[in-house]
Amino acid sequence: MTALRPFLATYGTALAGLAVVVVFALLKPVFLTPANFAIILKETAFLGILSLGFTLALVTAELDLSIAEVASLSAVVTGALVHAGFGATVAVAAGLSTGLVCGAANGLVVTRLRVPSLIATLGMAAIAKGLGFMITQGVAFVGRWPVSFTGLARGSIFGLSNLAWWLAGTAAACWVLLDWTRIGAHLRATGEAEEAARLAGVATGRMKRAGLTMCGLGAGLTGVLLAASLSSAAPNMAGDHFLYAIAAVLLGMTMFEPGRPNVPGTLVAAFSLKALGNGLVLVGAAYYVQDIVLGLVIVASVALSAGALGRAAFVEKLNFKRPS
Amino acid sequence: MNEITRRDLVGGALALSTVGLAGTAAAAAGFELAVVAFQMSSETHARVANAAAAAGKAKGWSTTILNSEGSLPKHAEQLETLIQSKPSAIIVAMGKPVEAEEQLKKAKDAGIPVVMVMSGASPHILFDIEANEYKVGAEAALWLLGQMGFQGKILTERFDGNVGTRIRGRVLDAVLAENTGVKVVGSHAMARTQSWRDDVRQGMQTQLLQHGTEIDGLWASFDGQAFVIDDILKAQGVKKGQIKFVSIDGGAETFRRIADPDSLLMATVAIPFEAMGSGAVEALDRIVVKKEAKAAITAGPYLFMDATLVDAVNVAQFLKP
Amino acid sequence: MADTAPFLSLTGVTKSYGPVEALKGVDLDVHAGDVLALVGDNGAGKSSLVKILAGAHPPSGGEIRLKGEPVHFASPGDALQKGIATIYQDLAVAPRLSITENIFLGSELTRTIPGLPGLHLLDKRRMRREAGALLTRLSVNVADADTPVERLSGGQRQAVALSRALRWDARMIIMDEPTAALGVQETRLVLDLIRRLHAEGRTVVLISHNMADVCAVATRVAVLKGGRKVIDRGIDGVDADRLAHMVMTGREG
Repeated sequence: MTALRPFLATYGTALAGLAVVVVFALLKPVFLTPANFAIILKETAFLGILSLGFTLALVTAELDLSIAEVASLSAVVTGALVHAGFGATVAVAAGLSTGLVCGAANGLVVTRLRVPSLIATLGMAAIAKGLGFMITQGVAFVGRWPVSFTGLARGSIFGLSNLAWWLAGTAAACWVLLDWTRIGAHLRATGEAEEAARLAGVATGRMKRAGLTMCGLGAGLTGVLLAASLSSAAPNMAGDHFLYAIAAVLLGMTMFEPGRPNVPGTLVAAFSLKALGNGLVLVGAAYYVQDIVLGLVIVASVALSAGALGRAAFVEKLNFKRPS
Repeated sequence: MNEITRRDLVGGALALSTVGLAGTAAAAAGFELAVVAFQMSSETHARVANAAAAAGKAKGWSTTILNSEGSLPKHAEQLETLIQSKPSAIIVAMGKPVEAEEQLKKAKDAGIPVVMVMSGASPHILFDIEANEYKVGAEAALWLLGQMGFQGKILTERFDGNVGTRIRGRVLDAVLAENTGVKVVGSHAMARTQSWRDDVRQGMQTQLLQHGTEIDGLWASFDGQAFVIDDILKAQGVKKGQIKFVSIDGGAETFRRIADPDSLLMATVAIPFEAMGSGAVEALDRIVVKKEAKAAITAGPYLFMDATLVDAVNVAQFLKP
Repeated sequence: MADTAPFLSLTGVTKSYGPVEALKGVDLDVHAGDVLALVGDNGAGKSSLVKILAGAHPPSGGEIRLKGEPVHFASPGDALQKGIATIYQDLAVAPRLSITENIFLGSELTRTIPGLPGLHLLDKRRMRREAGALLTRLSVNVADADTPVERLSGGQRQAVALSRALRWDARMIIMDEPTAALGVQETRLVLDLIRRLHAEGRTVVLISHNMADVCAVATRVAVLKGGRKVIDRGIDGVDADRLAHMVMTGREG
């Protein structure tokens, strides 16, 4: 039992996720087929990439509440250019830059103007939303767009959908960055003990800017892939991902490295949320039951690891507990 | 120790709840109908979806409704997942055939028949059940101008974020272009947000403040907007008939207001949403179960259903006893 | 002393925070190999002086020389580069990071993978090994270098912070109240650490309220009072009681 305990503390949520998978598999064998897993993986891409970006910001103990709106804006910018006949390269570059610029702006406002990220990014969310409506005038860009663009998200390589590859690439990059580079070590130190890190010579301001900028870039990539996958761009198209992204990162903080935002945790959590949604559709649960179950799962999972989350750096910051 | 037990409890509860859910779902074998509504919080979407589900259940089919919550990514995801569970047929209410093209194609490849309602044409589905929005728009516009004697000033509440309501507005513009005796003195275009009712209230309140005393007619692109405007006018003490007031969609609440002497709303063009939902089921029954040819129902990508103009003359027929 | 110039030399250093004059012109020489104790009442100017030495705050006036050369510390990182490490009472370590992460914070070791010359990855194994070696060198035994520092005792935390300073090969180490809030056993551990640094020929500036600790390890003592240095002398012949008297009165007698 004593040997089991640290194992459960680290992998408990992941095991609960596994239990859900087993239950669905018993009820609906199609759930466990490779084809269905490929679908879940593909659908995890949007949520996963958005959440991974959020993870990088949260590692530095800064929140980014603008991810969904920035993703939507990036989709709109990309869609507008594709719709106007620009090449895929130009459109994608513009979409990614949109995310990058929004993220960098968040970072500058937080570190230079010393506006708490909670407020700065809320402002950015409103601005990005407004810009999205300005560009589209409320009407979505829809069309049968060239395959050179939609191919980014549609189709597959080695039997795995392109979206899944995007997710894998992003996750690998985030993992290497966060766990295996000096920048990653400094990002974490900035989040866990900002003042101590600064005194140890870590450029904490730059790290916060880097975290928020990469978060924006993640939102930008999500937006571009959304537009390519749906061949359309609307100013609110990523909106429903926001709460799920936050849920994924918080759930992720209950596994692997309890209390710390971490890449494998975020990834497993995003996949679990999507698998849960997928399973509920397959077993034929009514739409309102799905909402209720998802809500219960999120609350329950976070509640059972409240101990670890309560000690998380960003929570302490929100409580305005500062080292004296 | 404490931690372990809590984790176990939650895991167990999760498993139990899923088992319970599945029990209800696995009840019926046979024909499995899946209904996907784009946004159940929108009344018209819900009316189509619920009517289709009710008609399916009446035939003894196992029926589930999914809600895409107005989100394009979710819409595509739900369709994709549904195809995995291989339902006998799918009905989509107010869906997005262009955005979900990839998924609809997969459904076709998997041999799953799809009927859409008020969504638009697609080569991958049987057909789309539509009210002809151009006809609907013309009916509403001409009723309003006729009531005004083709003379006077009107206010319009528009919504260009949806294809159907946008077409209604464009047809109104065409009718006005030919009938220059009627002038639009003010117009408000609603934004596509969750708080659209507030948006309509604010926009129209401003317009009415400026032009309230001089206008003869009011046009709203759908009934939901008309209800908000009706309530503003009622509060200002305007009497029925002083301002000719038309909108579009139809439904129990709309008919009640048209019959109600205290309400300002005078007419609507009623789109048969319930008939569209049950019509989709009927068509699937004929094509999938009774193996009739699709051409026996409609030749083209659309199956049109007629909308009816409802005003004081015929509203009594539409009111439930 | 072999060196002709002091390791660090302050001349007429002042510091004002708005209208408040915290330091009113301090002259102070720190010679290589000294264990200099800075003592004084609260408000005497000790913290301000430490922050200037550490590069955390710039002085308002006066001059700082490092080995005879005028010097300016742009940031704590800059001071660290120039061989001056500061261990703050509360902020010495990041509690939730591991021992290894703390010791190598800001000076992480990396390695490249054959075939990927541009990619520098953390060399976790080597850092873990060297962290263990550093702590062993300070005669501190911890089972696992991956343990979060918050699970360590106060004395062990000081050792971790010192290890980080040694990683940078700091010639001068400023320790701000290292024994405050420590038990007897732990205090002895920290004092041993200071003696060890002294034995290695490093310069230590010790800020402390504990007169017994000061007398136990310091070679020199400087007393601050009202933003000025009032006493600066060798520790010989000074005991805790006399030192307390000196702090109170500002006179040697």
